[in-house]
Amino acid sequence: MTRPRYRLLPHTADLCVEVRGDDLPSLLAASAEALFSLLTDRRRVRPEERKVLPVPPAPPDEQLYLLLRQALLLVSSGRFLVRRAGATMESGAVTVTLAGEAADPSRHEVYREIKAVTRHALSVKRDGGGWTARFIVDV
Amino acid sequence: MRFQDVSLRKISDSEWEIPQGAGMLVPGRIFASEAMMGDIVRDEALRQVINVAHLPGIRSFSIGMPDIHWGYGFPIGGVAAMEPDGGVVSPGGVGYDINCGVRLLRSGLRVESLRARLPELVAALFREVPSGVGSTGDVRVTGKELDKVLTEGSRWAASRGYATADDVEHTEDRGRFPAADPEAVSATARKRGEDQLGTLGSGNHFLEIDEVAEIYWPEAAEAYGLFPGQAVFFIHSGSRGLGYQVCDDSLDRMAEYMRTHRIVVPDRQLACAHILAPEGERYLAALAAAANYAFVNRQLLAHRVKEAVERALRMGPRDAGIRLVYDCGHNNAKFETHEVEGKLRRLLVHRKGATRAFPPGHPDLPAAYRAVGQPVFIPGDMGTGSYVLAGAEGAMRLSFGSTCHGAGRRMSRTQAMHSAKGRSVLADMERRGVLVACASKRTLAEEIPEAYKDVSAVVDVVVRAGIARKVARLKPVAVVKG
Repeated sequence: MTRPRYRLLPHTADLCVEVRGDDLPSLLAASAEALFSLLTDRRRVRPEERKVLPVPPAPPDEQLYLLLRQALLLVSSGRFLVRRAGATMESGAVTVTLAGEAADPSRHEVYREIKAVTRHALSVKRDGGGWTARFIVDV
Repeated sequence: MRFQDVSLRKISDSEWEIPQGAGMLVPGRIFASEAMMGDIVRDEALRQVINVAHLPGIRSFSIGMPDIHWGYGFPIGGVAAMEPDGGVVSPGGVGYDINCGVRLLRSGLRVESLRARLPELVAALFREVPSGVGSTGDVRVTGKELDKVLTEGSRWAASRGYATADDVEHTEDRGRFPAADPEAVSATARKRGEDQLGTLGSGNHFLEIDEVAEIYWPEAAEAYGLFPGQAVFFIHSGSRGLGYQVCDDSLDRMAEYMRTHRIVVPDRQLACAHILAPEGERYLAALAAAANYAFVNRQLLAHRVKEAVERALRMGPRDAGIRLVYDCGHNNAKFETHEVEGKLRRLLVHRKGATRAFPPGHPDLPAAYRAVGQPVFIPGDMGTGSYVLAGAEGAMRLSFGSTCHGAGRRMSRTQAMHSAKGRSVLADMERRGVLVACASKRTLAEEIPEAYKDVSAVVDVVVRAGIARKVARLKPVAVVKG
């Protein structure tokens, strides 16, 4: 696994995450991985099953929000944990593929419950060196 | 006086006003001491008080309690009352954990008599009360039975033998928001709620055994059934995944409503709809259903606590004497009658991280508490202690019958983790005389006592402001966390 492409920024009550990516698809994939890194040690998750999340064409910040909400439901409704994510883009629509497995209490410590991904201070920006996203999750 | 870019006018040692600036429909009112302002201005909370003051239909003030901190749209520790006609309801003014709240159970036992058996008792509570991420309850409700939970609240619990008539009487709104409509709750929210009834959750949710350490107002303590040295049980939980999903579902609909009805607010997190519009009514019906779920959740938790204590101590219900003092929510929006400019008005009061605190004589209080006012519970950090307060007259004049809800965080979770690094939080807590059982050491590190403001300072402000009165102080002796 490559070095983390996200970091936590100060926030009093919740968790504020900043993610970097070379392009929009890799930013979205890295954001999904960051979300699951807040939940568990991803190195202990086996990439046994794949889930495909379609993200329709929309402004990039809206795409990030739509993706993270779907990804969070995988764990909150289906107890699915993610090891890694990949994304492709075609005509503005992004397809994110998540590889992981159902949480197994004997192998996975789930650190916390994330109530929701919020629109609060959510942003996606393109700069000289690539793309940066910021989002806050309610815990 | 200015704090960062917000101008503030000091009204008294415990009250500040943010003057009504451009776009604000009312001024802001903050309950805090000067010393506390140093912490409050470090995040976006005051800016959020100003943003809330822009919402259509807001009356009198956009209010911040002394435990105020940065939240989603509204600050946590925020209160706003809206006129139904032309006013809005905002899910950000309630929060994701709809009707999250606390309940206090008293017992006939003294902590001193429990000391020797405390480890055994804590182990039993940790084993028998489901806590932590992904935990499931042993009461699974689906289909029409879930509809009944969502519609009836605590009455459902009583009909299934999980609550007594006394429990229902001693729950805010008697454990039922009447506007609930299960049809307004999405299939996803229902699915998230099916197996979580009777679970504590994680994060800042907890189950505590406390000792009544000090009594400040004997008459009220007597009415609440509290005495020095007594063992009491404190539960903090909410509407679990069902409530989070209700909030999440409503945000999209409200964003769309705002676009079509051209409602402009300074922050898109303040998604809202007119209270009397179908979108507003639908959210309020779903909110009421989630609130009823939360009442049942805490009632089932209390039922498990009662059973676990009686079993662990090999006592009958009469000897253990566990009874509900009161259950109050601190993330709600509901219709109440308040006096505004000399006239009684029916308003929708949003309380996000704020507790209803009705004064003595209020007709909505249970008969046993009408002479002293509504019990209000203010949990502090897990090492220091908590307070039992009573609603006071000033709350009706100054804060739409509301007071604070807790100590409020002062450290981010990341800061708390760094601060806890290299030491055993469990051992630290044991040195303070608090036994801890927890599902996640990470949660424990995030919840270290120094991550929170001083609860005594928070309580002193609301007491000085006259919106609540001190009844008793509780000292933690054991904590179960998810």
